[in-house]
Amino acid sequence: MAKYAFLFLDDGVDYQAAPTPEQQKVYADIFKWFETNGDKITDGGAELQPTRTATTIRKTTGKTIVVDGPFIEAKESVGGFSILELPNKEAAVALAKTWPGHGIEIRRIVEESER
Amino acid sequence: MAQYVLLFLEQEGWKDQSKEAKAPAYATIGKWWEDLSQKGILKGGGELQPMRTATTVRRVNGTMKVTEGPFIESKEHVGGFGMIEVPDLDAAIRVAKSWPGGNVEVRPIVVH
Repeated sequence: MAKYAFLFLDDGVDYQAAPTPEQQKVYADIFKWFETNGDKITDGGAELQPTRTATTIRKTTGKTIVVDGPFIEAKESVGGFSILELPNKEAAVALAKTWPGHGIEIRRIVEESER
Repeated sequence: MAQYVLLFLEQEGWKDQSKEAKAPAYATIGKWWEDLSQKGILKGGGELQPMRTATTVRRVNGTMKVTEGPFIESKEHVGGFGMIEVPDLDAAIRVAKSWPGGNVEVRPIVVH
C-alpha cells in the first residue's frame, strides 16, 4: 500500500458563488464520492477557496514579498486535496477516473524513510 | 479562528538531490513543523513526490482521460502542504513568512 495525494482540479467554475443546477449536481456527486471512498481516505485534506483569494509569499535574495494572487495564473488550479491509501498507481488512476468533478493530479506522498 | 492551507512551492529538481544535500533543509523544516504542531497551529500536511511523477486524470468531452505529468508544466510547483488554524489572514501570512523553505501560497479553506 502507498499514500497518494489527490489534487482536485478546478476548471474555473466558482462553486462558492451561485452554482447552476448542473454544478450543484456535480457538487452532490462529489459528496457521495467521499462517502463511498471514505475507507481509503487517510486524510480528508481540505477544499480551498478560489485562487482569487490566494496570497503568495515570495522569498527573493533575502527579501520576503507578499503578493495577492496564486503562484501561477492558469485556467485550471488546485481546488482541494485528500490523501488516500491505495495498493498502487494503477489503483489510484482507476479511482481518479470515478471522480465526478473536473480532474485530479495524482502525486505519491514522500514517506519519512525517503527523506 | 480560521483555517488556511499553505502550499509549499518548490523548484523542479530539488528532491532529486542527494539525501546529504537535502538533510540541512529537512532538519530546519522538521524543527519548524514540530514547533508549530506543538503550538497547535499546524494541523497536518504532507510532502509530494516531484512533479515529473504526477499523473493527471481529467474530463474531456465527458470521459476521463489519463495523461502522464502534472496538470500544468511550470518551473515552480506545489511540493507539499500544511493546514493551519490561526485568527486571520495576517496571522497566516506571518506563519508562511516563517516557513524555512521556499515560496508559499496561502489559501483559505472552505468550511462546510
